[in-house]
Amino acid sequence: MAEQTTVSLPKGPDPSRVREWRSELLASANAHAIITVAQRCLESGDTRLVSEPTVGMVPVSVREPVVGERFILVDVLATRSEVDHRGQRGWAMRLGDDKEATVAAAICDAEAAANGPMTGEIDELCAQTDRLLAESSAAEWAELLPTEVHFEELVK
Amino acid sequence: MGYAAARGGLEAILAAEDLVRRKRTEGSSAPLEVDQITDRLRLSVDRVMGEAGLWAPELAARALRQAEGDLVEAAHLLRAYRSTRRRLARPVTVDADELEILRRIVPAYRVPEGPQLLGRTLDYVGRLLDTSDRVSTGVEEATHAGTEPQVLVFGGETDRRPERLLEQLRRNDLALDRRRSDDPEPYDINVHPVRPGVPRSARLSVMARAETGALVNLWYRNVLGPDGYIREITLGEVRHGWLPVRVEHPATGQPVNLGRIRVTETEAIEDLDGDDEARDHFDVGYGMCVGHNERKAIAMANLDIAVHRDGGRSSLEQSVLMTTDGLESSGFLEHLKLPHYVTFRSMVERKMSLRAVASGERNDDRAAAIEDEEIRTEAVVGA
Repeated sequence: MAEQTTVSLPKGPDPSRVREWRSELLASANAHAIITVAQRCLESGDTRLVSEPTVGMVPVSVREPVVGERFILVDVLATRSEVDHRGQRGWAMRLGDDKEATVAAAICDAEAAANGPMTGEIDELCAQTDRLLAESSAAEWAELLPTEVHFEELVK
Repeated sequence: MGYAAARGGLEAILAAEDLVRRKRTEGSSAPLEVDQITDRLRLSVDRVMGEAGLWAPELAARALRQAEGDLVEAAHLLRAYRSTRRRLARPVTVDADELEILRRIVPAYRVPEGPQLLGRTLDYVGRLLDTSDRVSTGVEEATHAGTEPQVLVFGGETDRRPERLLEQLRRNDLALDRRRSDDPEPYDINVHPVRPGVPRSARLSVMARAETGALVNLWYRNVLGPDGYIREITLGEVRHGWLPVRVEHPATGQPVNLGRIRVTETEAIEDLDGDDEARDHFDVGYGMCVGHNERKAIAMANLDIAVHRDGGRSSLEQSVLMTTDGLESSGFLEHLKLPHYVTFRSMVERKMSLRAVASGERNDDRAAAIEDEEIRTEAVVGA
């Protein structure tokens, strides 16, 4: 029987990988929310684009279980941006063609890396995104659970 | 074989293109929005992305709309777009065991480790065409989705990432262990040519991007057709679920999950029965493709193990590598519609000459007739 417990919400970032935690959640955060926070980051601190945001691809390499070999399954459309903000290099990548939100994510990454005044709001946005993802995953599982099947064998 | 180019006809070509553009938006119904296509025609969107080799749902939907629903044409559009984009990062390899299931069935075992989850499927019900104009909201069908409002439930790691059947077979020493001790770089079919003899990683990439119908047909021919490999096929796992997309963070060098894509995965269990094979063991073939496309993943897994067992004795590997790409096969087929006047005329001339030689005609009248025909042909070509 599939496990059913009340949803367990995220516990927050592992202290050893806070920057990666932010990058992952800024990659999934609502575009409008992230742009709003980034605009507030721009109100203080010098910011410049290191390079134009780029729409390109990220290959997905999978290790298959039979032989343990890696193979390239597909490429995924993604947008990358790098900025200088508060003397820190900010980096972000988001799936899809989304230059504005990706630049905003890079600004947030730099602001938090520099421990700027908006760090708390950025981390709150990340934590909220983490909760939404966990809730969405739990809701998805709740829809799937009624389809768990136990077939019977017909015995003479 | 050489081809002679034709020219001219530009106005007609532009008029034909204009006709396509106008007609695909005509009619009394509302224009087709991109999110309608991604929401309502997800399986078509999945196929286009898989056969184009690019996960980009919105662009795939746009391609489908532009192609008026022609999947091969849409994949062509998306792959052409793909060719204009460069790669932004080196991937961090994800393990297939990280797949988070939306559906998982194990046809080989009634009670495997972890749940058998039917998920979103019509596999066990009849197919009846719905001729009503009623648009289902899903509310009335919700009677089997639980009687109480669902509290949020958490699928634990073991449920959403259940152990695969292959591990059970290995524990019972029923599966050949073909795991490698080295870790070769995956062959990139976007960079290097694909020819027989390429590593297995290239075959898996080729099949993941192959046209679904081509793979199914090749599998079917292999199993029941003239290739004569009739044998029992058992599926170990059929899964549909989420797989993370991961890159390296440039500042820290640590992995970062950017998001996730849906994939379909299959293990095909092969009953080894050859004289030179370990007949007291099974072997396993593997398939994984983008989106929800079980026909493709199942055919892929079966062909993976079939090519391995074949060992180059037949042309199977060549067929898998060289004839399953939808753009290549359809492109070659469709080029036949382009002007072939010169090549066909040369063929006609050869027929005429053969006929003349065969009938032993050597009289001046016949030779003159052929000469007249050639002069007339050259005049037309020159015009």
